[in-house]
Amino acid sequence: MRAQLPPKPALRKGKIMSLHWLKIAAASSVAAIALASAAYAQTVRVTVAEYSSKTGPYFEKAASEFEAANPGTDIQIEVVPWDVLQQKLTTDISGGANADLAIIGTRWLIDYVSQGVAAPLDSYLTDEVKGRFIDTFLSPSVMDGKTYGLPIAASARALYYNKALFEKAGIAAPPATWDELKADAEKIKALGGDVYGYGLQGKEIETDVYWYYALWSQGGNILDADGTSGLDSEAAYKAAEIYKGLIDGGLTEPGVTSLSREDVQNLFKQGRVGMMITAPFLANQIKEEAPDLKYGVAAIPAGPNGDRGTYGVTDSIIMFENSQNKDTAWKFLDFIFTTDKRAEFDANEGFLPVNAEESKMPMFADNADLKEFAALLPDARFAPVIPGWEEIASVTSNALQKIYLGEGEIKATLDAAAKEIDGIIAANK
Amino acid sequence: MNRSIFTNPYVLIAPAFLLAAFIILWPLSQIGEISISNVNRFGQLKGFAGLENFAAVVGDPQFLAAAWRTVIWTLGIVAGTILLSVPVALVLNEDFHGRGIARIIVMLPWAVSLTMTAIVWRWALSGESGMLNSALKGLGLVDQNIQWLAAAGTAFPMQIAIGILVSIPFTTTIFLGGLSSIPDDLYEAARLEGASSWQIFFSITLPLLRPFINIAVVMNTIGVFNSFPIIWVTTQGGPANSTDILVTYLYKLGFSFGKLGEASALSLMMFALLLFFTIIYVRLAMRGERA
Repeated sequence: MRAQLPPKPALRKGKIMSLHWLKIAAASSVAAIALASAAYAQTVRVTVAEYSSKTGPYFEKAASEFEAANPGTDIQIEVVPWDVLQQKLTTDISGGANADLAIIGTRWLIDYVSQGVAAPLDSYLTDEVKGRFIDTFLSPSVMDGKTYGLPIAASARALYYNKALFEKAGIAAPPATWDELKADAEKIKALGGDVYGYGLQGKEIETDVYWYYALWSQGGNILDADGTSGLDSEAAYKAAEIYKGLIDGGLTEPGVTSLSREDVQNLFKQGRVGMMITAPFLANQIKEEAPDLKYGVAAIPAGPNGDRGTYGVTDSIIMFENSQNKDTAWKFLDFIFTTDKRAEFDANEGFLPVNAEESKMPMFADNADLKEFAALLPDARFAPVIPGWEEIASVTSNALQKIYLGEGEIKATLDAAAKEIDGIIAANK
Repeated sequence: MNRSIFTNPYVLIAPAFLLAAFIILWPLSQIGEISISNVNRFGQLKGFAGLENFAAVVGDPQFLAAAWRTVIWTLGIVAGTILLSVPVALVLNEDFHGRGIARIIVMLPWAVSLTMTAIVWRWALSGESGMLNSALKGLGLVDQNIQWLAAAGTAFPMQIAIGILVSIPFTTTIFLGGLSSIPDDLYEAARLEGASSWQIFFSITLPLLRPFINIAVVMNTIGVFNSFPIIWVTTQGGPANSTDILVTYLYKLGFSFGKLGEASALSLMMFALLLFFTIIYVRLAMRGERA
C-alpha cells in the first residue's frame, strides 16, 4: 500500500490534525526548506531517539563521516527525547513533514505498516546485509514476510543483585527461583536499616513488564493461544500473589506505586536494594555513577516448573514510504549498521549487540554482565505485535497498581482487566 | 452624519478578528472535522464516523472520573489561590523595609517554568530521598517516611497544593494592581470615622477589589483547568488513573493510545465546558457589579 501523503507537505491542506497545529506549521516550513535544499544535495533527515547524552553526538559524527565518504549528500539528524518521540512522529506524519528515516519502538511498527507509512526494505536488503544481524533481533521487524525496519537498539532484562548486601546477609548465590528470591529478600530485610530486599517497579512505563517476569515464570502468557488476554489465568493470579506477598511482607521498598524504573535503579545504585530486574544499561550507569558498588548479574528467577522469560525489546529504524531519497537513506542505513559503527553505538549506550560479528568483539564477548544477558536470549519474549498494545499495557499496569495498593482483590482485578483487554483486541480487529 | 467606512467599528476590529480566527477558529474547525471522522493514529482521515467518537469518550468510565477530578482540581486551586493571594497582596502593599525584596521573592516562582517546578516537587515528594520527608522528620512531625506519590489520597492534595503555590505570583500581581487603584482618602476618611481594620477590609478593600478578583478567578480557572505539567510530571495521572484530570486523560488518549478521533472529541467537549463555565461566571460577576 502506498502512503497517501502528497510530496509537498507545506501545500497539503484540510486533512491536517490540529492538536498541535502550530508545531505542524513549524515542521512544515522546516520540511519546505529541506525540500528546497534538496535541489543541491541528496538530503536525508533522520529522527533519532535520545537514549542518552551520547546519542546525538554519535549520530552527528556518523552523519559527517557518511557525508565525507559520499559527496553531495546531506544527512540531517533530529534528536528527540524518547518520551515525546511517538507524539513528534505522529504530528510530523499527519502534517506530511516527517523525516526520511526514524527510530521507533518496534512494538509501534504494526501501525506504521498497516497505514502504509513505513516502506518495506526488502528490495535493498541483500543477503550480505541480512546476514549481519542476529536473527532474534531482526525478526520482530518482519511483518507479513517483509522487513520494515532494522534493529537499531536491542535490550533484554536480567536480575541485578548487590553482592555486598548478599555477603552481609550470608547468601551465597543469586536466587534461581522466586521462592529463593523471597527467602533472600527476607534475609536482606533482617539486616535492618534502610535497605530493601527486592526493588519492585510500580509506576510509569514498563510497570506491566516488571510483572510479566513473574507471569512467564508461572507458565503464563500475555496473550493466550486464542489471542485473548492471559491475565485471567491461574498463572497470572499466582504471579500477582508473589508480588503482593513481597509487598505485604515488607520485602520491597515502601510505596512501590511511586517508583518508576529509574527510581528503583537509583535505589539500587545507592546500595539500598538487594535485587532488581532491569536492562544492560544499568551496568553502564553504575560504572559512571557508583563505581564502588559491588553487583552481579544473574538470570531472572524461574517458576516451579523451570519456566522463565525475559523481556526482549528492540527499537527499529524505519524508512518512510514518502521519502524522496530512499537510495541515499538506505546507503546511510547500510553505513550505520557496519560492525564498527554498531560497536561504537552499543558500547556508548549499553545495548546488546544486534550484529553477529560485533558480538564476537572482545568488549562484548568478554563482558561478564553482557554474557548473562546474552545467555537469557533464548528465553526472550517480545511485546505481542497487535494493534492497541500501548492501551493494553496501560490497562495491565493500572490493574497491577490497584493490586499493589491493596485497592483490588487479585482475581477480580485481573479478570476485569482481562475483559477490558479482550474488548480492546476485539475493537481493533 | 456621514461616516467613513474606515471608522465602522466592524471594519476596525476586522484585522484583530481575522488574526484571532486564524489562531482559534481554524484549529477548532480542524478538530471538529477529526472528531466526527474515523481517523488513524497518524491523523489521516478515513471516512465519516458521526458521533461515534463522542459516544466512546462519554461511555468510558475514566472520562467521568477524570471530569469530576478536574472540577475538584480547578475549584481547589482557584479558591486556594484567591484566599492566599489576598493577604499576600495586602502585606506586600504595605510600606515596609525590604518590600522590594519580599515582592521579588513572591514573584520569583513565576519566572521558573512550570515543568521545572513540577520536577523539583517530584524529587521533593520522593518517599525515600525527598526533601519534604526529611524536613518533616527533622522537625519531629513524622517518624516514618510518607510515600506522597504512591496513592491518590496523598498525591492529589499535594498536586493541588503545588498548583496553588505556582498560581500565587500571578494572582498577587493582579491584586497589587487592584490595591494601588484604591484611593488613600477612602481609608483616611474611614479611620477618622473610627472604623476598625476588619471593617475597612470588608467595606472598602474587598468591594473595590471585586473586579480584580473576578479577573483572577476567570484567568486562573482557564489556566488551571487545562494545566498539564504538575500532574503529568509527578504521577502521570496514576496510580491506576487515580489522579487523572481531563487534560492528562486527553494526552493519553491522543498520544499514548493513538485514538486521535476520541481525543479530538474530548478536547472539543473540554473547550465547550470551559467556555460555558467562564461565560456563566462572567455573567454572574457582571450582574453583581451592575447592581
